[in-house]
Amino acid sequence: MTPTISVQQLSKTYEVPEREGGFGAAVRSFFKRKYKDVKAVQEVNFNIEQGEVVGFLGPNGAGKTTTLKMLSGLLHPTSGNANVLGFTPWELKNDYLRSMTLVMGQRNRLSWDIPAADSFLLNQAIYRIPDDEYKETYKELDELLELEPLMKKPVRNLSLGERMKCEIAVGLLHRPKVLFLDEPTIGLDITGQARIREFLQEYNKRTGATIILTSHYMADVTALCERIIIIHHGQLKYDGGINDLSKKIAPFKLIGVLMENADAHDLSKYGEPVENMEDADKKFIQVKADEVTRITSRLLADLPIRDITIADPPIEDVIEQAFNQ
Amino acid sequence: MFLIFKRLWQVNWAEQWQYRANLLMYLLYWLVSPIIYLAVWTSIATANGDVNGFTANDFVTYYMVLLICDQVTSNIVIHTFGYKIQDGSLSGELIRPIHPMLTNALVNNVAFKILTMIGLTPIWIILFFLFKPDFSSVTLTGILLAIPAMMLAFLIGYFQSAAITALAFWTTRVYSIHEFYFALILLFSGQFVPLPLMPQLIQDIAQYLPFQLLLYYPIQLILGNLSTEQIIHGYMMTGVWLVISWSIFNWVWRKGVKKYSAVGA
Repeated sequence: MTPTISVQQLSKTYEVPEREGGFGAAVRSFFKRKYKDVKAVQEVNFNIEQGEVVGFLGPNGAGKTTTLKMLSGLLHPTSGNANVLGFTPWELKNDYLRSMTLVMGQRNRLSWDIPAADSFLLNQAIYRIPDDEYKETYKELDELLELEPLMKKPVRNLSLGERMKCEIAVGLLHRPKVLFLDEPTIGLDITGQARIREFLQEYNKRTGATIILTSHYMADVTALCERIIIIHHGQLKYDGGINDLSKKIAPFKLIGVLMENADAHDLSKYGEPVENMEDADKKFIQVKADEVTRITSRLLADLPIRDITIADPPIEDVIEQAFNQ
Repeated sequence: MFLIFKRLWQVNWAEQWQYRANLLMYLLYWLVSPIIYLAVWTSIATANGDVNGFTANDFVTYYMVLLICDQVTSNIVIHTFGYKIQDGSLSGELIRPIHPMLTNALVNNVAFKILTMIGLTPIWIILFFLFKPDFSSVTLTGILLAIPAMMLAFLIGYFQSAAITALAFWTTRVYSIHEFYFALILLFSGQFVPLPLMPQLIQDIAQYLPFQLLLYYPIQLILGNLSTEQIIHGYMMTGVWLVISWSIFNWVWRKGVKKYSAVGA
């Protein structure tokens, strides 16, 4: 069986104009523009079978979105090939556009000034969905996402999470066989994230659709995807099961403590100290995940701690550690 | 396809309706210059008896009809579409299985037009009582001939503006290019001055340009001032310019979309 998505040597190089700040540079660049080549995606290869849920994981600017845009047809690659459902995406054939969906950001298919219901009906017409099929799909989506209370409000009055739910739902009305989701949980609170994840899982089970989603939340991909593709600096760094990945990525946690007279205490005997720019008041150490409980209780017993946090290290650091050695 | 346009209409109508106050302001701004031309030319003609054979009533009827033709044949696609190319919000529309410019943007323009027409009606009636034009030369045949001519002229203008708008795929200066195009319309369409009052050379050039089809030609059709020969010539020019404008738009659009997807949508 041919794979639903196959990608060979796919590359994208952006030409980015660059100039220094200031008036002189502005005048010079008017006559002779300088360009810098940015290799966003470099010779990426993978195949995805029908029904798979694959997570693209990587820090911001790694090339995830660029890959997704090429697969959905918005971007022409610089070189290489891709085939999705038998189409070359960037030819933008209507038959292709009707069988896939790209959900990107919060403001895509919904018109800002009018109730979501109107945008839903418009998409029914655009994708030529027969009335009975539309009603059935809508009912399913409503069951999973609780859309009905949101339908009559102008989209501008919806919250971020409500808007994301509507964006995803409206993108699925035509029952696409392939879903490209770019950061579907970005900006949502924990409950919102969980709800979207559950929905996607259920949708995949019910319809057998192939799903690729990008995220820089580890939790998104671990909850949803059995297979992970890691893209970093435009290159494919890892393609395989989530379990093998956890073995490769040493599971660390980040413990942050706020104490009286912080400089007087040495934390290096508890774990590896980490500089954290965002939260300068706290001191951070990195410890193995299975030692978190033990070390936390020791910290609490030994030191005058006012506040303590335990968190996953940023995905950037994790990937850097795992693949850049 | 009919359903798509119906639903697009519902959405765009609702959207335009949201901005009705905005739209009224726009309409008033739009009406300032033709009404000034109307007032100035009428008072000159009244003072002199006529201007090169144009009487005061000729000017009043000409500009009163112009106000309507202008609403029908003009478009605002540069304002409603240009920014989408520049800020990337076109991406969402590009991956829908319908042509963004030939469906959504087109319907949006028509919705805008119908709302401004509603706004124009009371203003037109006031002007009618102020200037008391003599419309005795207007015939039903003239109006019936003018309606398709105006609709086709709208499409000509729309494709041309859309082609200029699509230049936004390459440059951020589309608005000034469109301003220049607009100046050509002002000069050659018969808005600034009725064309017969222009120097002969400009009249000769204007005859073969598309701009007179937007205003001068339909106005004269309605006012019953054209010979059969001139009517046929006008319709033929309309056909030719429709094909040319469509082809230019289609070519620029295709190249533009390719460019858009090459540099990063």
